[in-house]
Amino acid sequence: MLDTIIKAYNEAIFDTDRDQALRVVHDAVKQGVTPEQVVFEVVLPALDLMVKSISENMDANLAQHFMTAQIADTVTAEMIGKFQKAPQCAGTVVIGTAQGDMHSLGKRIVIGCLKARMMEVTDLGVNVSPEHFVDEAVGRKAQVIGISAMMVHTARGENGSLAVRRLLQERGLEGRIRIIVGGAPFRFDDTLYRTVQADAWASDGVTAGKVISDLIGEVER
Amino acid sequence: MITGMDRLVAAIKGEKSDRIPVFCNMIDQGAKEMGMSPEEYYSKGEYVAESQLRMQEKYGHDNLWSLFYVGKEAELLGCRKILYAKHGPPNVEEFVIKTYDDIERLEVPADLTAHPAFAEEQQCLNILKREAGGKSPICAYISSSMTIPAMLMGMEKWMELLFFGPAELREALLAKCHDFFVKEVKAYRDGGADVLVYSNPFGSLDTVPMKFFLAHSLPWIEKDISAVGTAGMVYYCGMSAFNKVIDTVLERTGLGVYYLSPWDDIAEGKRIINGRALTCGVINDIKLIDWSREEIRAEVKRMLDAGMPGGKFLFGTGVMPYFVPEENIRTMLEAAYEFGRYA
Repeated sequence: MLDTIIKAYNEAIFDTDRDQALRVVHDAVKQGVTPEQVVFEVVLPALDLMVKSISENMDANLAQHFMTAQIADTVTAEMIGKFQKAPQCAGTVVIGTAQGDMHSLGKRIVIGCLKARMMEVTDLGVNVSPEHFVDEAVGRKAQVIGISAMMVHTARGENGSLAVRRLLQERGLEGRIRIIVGGAPFRFDDTLYRTVQADAWASDGVTAGKVISDLIGEVER
Repeated sequence: MITGMDRLVAAIKGEKSDRIPVFCNMIDQGAKEMGMSPEEYYSKGEYVAESQLRMQEKYGHDNLWSLFYVGKEAELLGCRKILYAKHGPPNVEEFVIKTYDDIERLEVPADLTAHPAFAEEQQCLNILKREAGGKSPICAYISSSMTIPAMLMGMEKWMELLFFGPAELREALLAKCHDFFVKEVKAYRDGGADVLVYSNPFGSLDTVPMKFFLAHSLPWIEKDISAVGTAGMVYYCGMSAFNKVIDTVLERTGLGVYYLSPWDDIAEGKRIINGRALTCGVINDIKLIDWSREEIRAEVKRMLDAGMPGGKFLFGTGVMPYFVPEENIRTMLEAAYEFGRYA
C-alpha cells in the first residue's frame, strides 16, 4: 500500500498539485499509515527524489521548487502534531538574506525543506546584518548559517558572506559553524561561493536542504 | 559615419553593416561615472542621461538606457521607500501590497507622464533624444503584467497568490498591472524610447512549468503585446533561459527580437528563430567579473561564432554588475567589435 501512496504523492509533487498531495496524505492516514511513516517514508524521500531529479534534469523550475517546499512543510507541520513522540532535532540553522537584499523567496523554499528534514530553523528575515547572523547562530547554537543573496553586490559585497566569515574567524567559531550561500549570482558563477569564503552553496532551495544536512553532519562529526 | 541605429536596423533587416550591433547595459555604473552617491545620482534625469552619454563615448557601444532602476515602476504605483546601495541597484524596501486588501486599493495613475516619479525619467529621455535620437537606440525597461506584482508585493507573496491564492484576486491584480504596462509603454514611446525591453521571468521554463506557461504566462504575454504592438519590443526573461518557448511566443505574438539568456544555446536559438526575428546573444556578465583577458576574448568569439552565421544577430550583456572591472568591459567590447566585424 505504501508504494502506491509514495507514487501518488510523488506525482502530485512533480505536477505542483498541492491539493492532490494533501489528499494523498490525508487518505493515507485514514487507511492506517502512521504520521511518522508519512513524513519519513513519503515526504522526505520525495524531497530527495526532487534533489536527484534537479541534479539530473535542468528542466526543474522555480515554481516546482517553491511548491515542493511548501507542500513538504505543510504536510510535515500537520503530521508532527500527530507523532507518538516528539521527533529528534536533526540540526539547527539560522537563515536570512544578506544585508541590502530584500528578496525572500529562495530563503522560504530552503526553510520549508529544512523543516521537513526535522531541523530547527530560525528565519532572520531580509536585509540581515553580518553581526545579527552570527549573534543569532551563537545564541541558538546553530551549526549552519544560510545566507541568501539575489544580487551581485549583496552576494559579493563586504556585508554578506565575507563579513560573516570574518566574524566567525574573529570569534573563533569556524570549527562549529558552517556558512552556506545561495541565490542567482551563485548559479551564474559556481565558484563564487569560494570567492565569498562560504563553505558550500546550492543551486536551488530544494538542494540546499540536502547540502545543509551534509554540513551539519560535518560539524557533528 | 555608421551609427548604432544603422547597425541595429541593418541587423533586424538581415543586412550587413560594418559590424554587428553591440549592446552594453551599464546602469549601476552611472553614479560612479558621475562621481556621485546613488541618492544624488538617481535624483535627476540629467545625471542619468549624462552618465549614459559619457559611458557610450568612453566604450563605443551602440545603445543608451533611460532606466534608473527597476523599482521605479513600483514608485509609479505608490512605493515610497527605496533602499539605495553603493555597488548595486536600488531595491524596493517597502511593498505597496502588504495584504490582499491592498490589491483593491492599488491605483494605476491615469497619466503616468504627470506622475512626479516619471518626471526625471522624462527629463532623461528628453536629453537622450536631443543628443542621440536617431543615432543610438534608446532603451527602456518595461516589466510584463505578470512581473510587476513581484515588485509590489515581493516574489514570495506573488508566487503564493499566483499558485495558491484566490484566482479572482490574482486576475484583478494582473488586470491592473496590464493597465499600468500599457500606459508605461505609451509613455516611453512618446518620450523617445526606441527599444522596449519586455522583461518577464514568467516567460521562461526556468521559472514556471510548461503547463503553467501555456495556461497563464502565454495568454498574458499575448494580451500585453496585442495591446501595445510589437514595435521595438524585445522578449527578455530576466536572464532566465527561454529557447524552449521561442517558437510558441514568436508564432503567437509576432515579437521580432529575442534577448536570450547566457544559459540558452545561441546556435539552437538561431535555429529555432530561423531568420524570423533578431537573435541577441547575451554574455554571462557575472563570470565577466573574474574572467581573464583570454577567457573573455574566447567567450565572445565562441558566442559570435555561434550567432553570426546567417546574420540577424546582436551581441549584448545582461544588466552589467557594478563589480565588473572597466578593463574587462573594454576587453569584452573590443573583442565584440573585432570578431563582430563584417568583411
